[in-house]
Amino acid sequence: MTAAVAGTPTATVAELRDRPPADVVLSGVTRTYGSTTALDALDLHVAGGEFLAVLGPSGCGKTTALRAIAGFEVPDAGTITVGGRDVTTVPPSKRDMGMVFQAYSLFPNLTAADNVAYGLAVRRRGRTERRRRAAELLELVGLADRGDRYPHQLSGGQQQRVALARALAVAPQVLLLDEPLSALDAQVRVQLRDEIRRIQLELGTTTVFVTHDQAEALSVADRVAVLRAGRLEQVASPDELYSRPATAFVARFVGTTSAVPAQLRADGQVDLLGTTRPVAGPVPVGDVVALLRPEQVVLRPDAGGRGRVVTRTFSGGTTRVTAVLPDGTEVAADVVSTESTELVPGTAVEVAPTARPVLLVPAGDA
Amino acid sequence: MLGTLPFFLLVGVVLLLPVVVLAVEAFRVTDPVTYEDTWSTSAITSVTTGAYGRAYLGSLRLSLVTAALGTVLGLGLAAAMLSVRRGRLLRRLLLTASGVLANFGGIPLAFAFIAAIGNAGVVTALLSDLGITLGASLYSTTGLALVYLYFLVPLMVLTITPALEGLRPQWREASDVLGGSGWQYWRRVGGPVLLPSVLGASVLLFASAFAAYATARALVGSSIPLVTLQIADALSSNVLVGSEAQGKALALGMVVLVGAVMLVYGWLQRRASRWSA
Amino acid sequence: MTAVDTAAGLPAAAAAVDPGPAPTGRRGPRRAGVRVARAVLFTVLGAYFLVPIAASVAFTVRDRGTGGLTARWYTGIPSADGFAETFGRSLTLGLLTVAGTLLLLLPTVVLVTLRLPRVRRVVEFLCLLPLVLPPIALVVGVRSVLSWAPDHFYGTPLADAFFALQEPDLPWILVLVYVVLALPFAHRALDAGVRAVDLGTLTEAARNLGASWPRVLVTVVVPALRTAVLNAAFLTLALVLGEFTIASLLGFRTFPTWIVEISGASPQLSVSVSVLSLLLTWGLLVLISALDRRRPRTTA
Ligand SMILES: Nc1ncnc2c1ncn2[C@@H]1O[C@H](COP(=O)(O)OP(=O)(O)O)[C@@H](O)[C@H]1O
Ligand SMILES: [Mg+2]
Repeated sequence: MTAAVAGTPTATVAELRDRPPADVVLSGVTRTYGSTTALDALDLHVAGGEFLAVLGPSGCGKTTALRAIAGFEVPDAGTITVGGRDVTTVPPSKRDMGMVFQAYSLFPNLTAADNVAYGLAVRRRGRTERRRRAAELLELVGLADRGDRYPHQLSGGQQQRVALARALAVAPQVLLLDEPLSALDAQVRVQLRDEIRRIQLELGTTTVFVTHDQAEALSVADRVAVLRAGRLEQVASPDELYSRPATAFVARFVGTTSAVPAQLRADGQVDLLGTTRPVAGPVPVGDVVALLRPEQVVLRPDAGGRGRVVTRTFSGGTTRVTAVLPDGTEVAADVVSTESTELVPGTAVEVAPTARPVLLVPAGDA
Repeated sequence: MLGTLPFFLLVGVVLLLPVVVLAVEAFRVTDPVTYEDTWSTSAITSVTTGAYGRAYLGSLRLSLVTAALGTVLGLGLAAAMLSVRRGRLLRRLLLTASGVLANFGGIPLAFAFIAAIGNAGVVTALLSDLGITLGASLYSTTGLALVYLYFLVPLMVLTITPALEGLRPQWREASDVLGGSGWQYWRRVGGPVLLPSVLGASVLLFASAFAAYATARALVGSSIPLVTLQIADALSSNVLVGSEAQGKALALGMVVLVGAVMLVYGWLQRRASRWSA
Repeated sequence: MTAVDTAAGLPAAAAAVDPGPAPTGRRGPRRAGVRVARAVLFTVLGAYFLVPIAASVAFTVRDRGTGGLTARWYTGIPSADGFAETFGRSLTLGLLTVAGTLLLLLPTVVLVTLRLPRVRRVVEFLCLLPLVLPPIALVVGVRSVLSWAPDHFYGTPLADAFFALQEPDLPWILVLVYVVLALPFAHRALDAGVRAVDLGTLTEAARNLGASWPRVLVTVVVPALRTAVLNAAFLTLALVLGEFTIASLLGFRTFPTWIVEISGASPQLSVSVSVLSLLLTWGLLVLISALDRRRPRTTA
């Protein structure tokens, strides 16, 4: 850790901002528990200063990956470097990281300010510096007036803010967050999510944010890494992940998709719902499944149409309407609410794609 | 409310009334000649000095030492038990055993020890065949302490395990990432969080050891100065007029001592758990 | 004694939050040191706890005359002089105490939970008192009160009642005192049971259907609290079967005082009976924990 920038009113923030960002590299990291393989030769690169979200279903190894970075899990194989330094076997207390847990991680016997100052206290920093830095960080997370409260006197959201301040107080090289919002209710969750992003942008600290909530991942991260069964499925910007998923798993996990049977022709075009569209990239000729986003589908009321509306779900500006095709395929479409009045369940509709499917996969794999 | 009346009635008559009567009648003495009851502090003053005073000291010393040892050993055993990975079976076994042994005080316990390391005990015989004599007699204060620990340690394990399980692994991990050592974690977080529960448990241990009578009676008769033994002697000696009053005074002294310990405990407890809800 | 509330519990875990995988600790030299220390502790304490029991068994199955094995000290227990009388008495006292404790405490705990939350702290305090109040001090007080009968109101019906309480064949006074001594354990068990089931909703539903309070207690509360009630009952029974201080100082002959009585003339017999009474306690408590495990896990 660099020498404290004493005297300035924003010592920790300045220290965090001024540090050269460190990247985190996991190479071939494997961790097994008995017969379960939690991490399966995972390769992951977190660029310096980046906000990376690690996304995946429950049990896919997200927490294990984060704990390996923090040092709580020693990989069975593979290496982890931080800013070029190999930390694979370095204990957590020597890794210079900050970590925010899912919940209940504040020390119950210390006030919010003492919690924040804990990392400084174990580093034997003076009392005045501890006080000043704790106050500064509580200010940063919007809790300047709650320093003397004990954890049980704070709401869940406030507790997580304090946990964030505590993690940042030691000016860590890397900030790790393990589903820090999942124990909070919806409104607080969105608010704190945006605040975490704001603070991260302000400080530029390399951040790994684990979540199983795709909306959360897409809205805060520079890039999102999708994990499946201990392996990296795809890592890309939120935008790219949504519009160009690399696998059917990613397409289904991120956003909503409808799987529609289609035929790929030898000339590189695909027959889909009565339309013909060009395809990019190599896909074997024959029966395929096209994955379509709801905004890529139009439903037109048509007495002779092959589809039939089954459900409609109003969500403000748009309404999600689901139609079923004669072969049982369900297709979801987002329709501007004011134009959806005719699309009530039972209505016969014509179903057509408006854009290239996000992904084509061989029929067996869908 | 009518339904709770029997409860308050019984507690009033069988628990509170006897204590109050004790507190009053300890100040009554019967004149040996006229059999007149008069107010007097003679019984009270007599129990604070001489043999009776030594009995209080003996009881206090024995219960403080065994409570302290029981606290340390029980805490160690509980922590060791919880630190075993995949130790579900071990945990169930030890907790059930603790439940049994914490209940295994009194008479049967004394006889088990007599059978083991008493004068004619199996272990004593085994050791003397090897030419070893036990360092301390079972029928001494040390022996008594050894026997008391047999139910105090399990009692500690039972009482403190929930508190140990309440220590969240995240606290330790948070301390670790923040750069804290194991010692720093225990000094700043683990210790202070456990303290109220440990205090409570050791007060319970103290009260159990202080009040123990059956084990001591079966083991040492009345050869060791302990208040409980003295009270029993005072009550059973029908010849001496006034010994009943002495017994009451001794008993009142016990209640007062336990009460004082509880007051100190309450104060410490409030200080130690300022941070909790 | 069994588990006891230490006053300051930890703040209860709320919502359903995934606690995450258990910490697995680091591998390395420190870990090995911990393992060795743990093994030593387990071995030493294990020996300490097993030796007296093993020695008791050895003490009672060895035939001093022939040097062989004998079951004499166990087979002889039922016919031993005084055993049937005192064990029968202790068992009767135990059952009466169980009945008394439940009759007294069950309505109290239920009513306090449902209707009288204000007296909750008082009830809790009173129920914890016997845990710290030395039984021997209590019994001295009880003796003083009992001595009022000959001293102060001899010849009145109250005195006759006092004497009736002290009938040596079935000393009801012991039942009364034992109910008080059982309060901490029984209250704890019942209170935990009441907290685990949502009594409020249950009884309200029954009341809305027109059931009277006693009926609600018998048909709704008791079945819902079956495990807790059994738990309290077994703990109380174990307590009474082993209680020596009160019985001895009030001058009654019960099972534990009988063991002491015979120990002079027949040490083997007193030890063999002790072993059996340990097994009995053990059986009762294993039964409790088996019942505990069968209880469906309810989030408190
Ligand atoms: N300490 C452990 N012991 C055994 N299995 C574990 C342990 N930690 C994690 N696992 C297993 O490893 C897999 C990945 O777990 P985890 O990283 O916690 O998943 P996630 O955080 O993505 O939900 C799961 O199958 C889980 O059951
Ligand atoms: Mg997880």
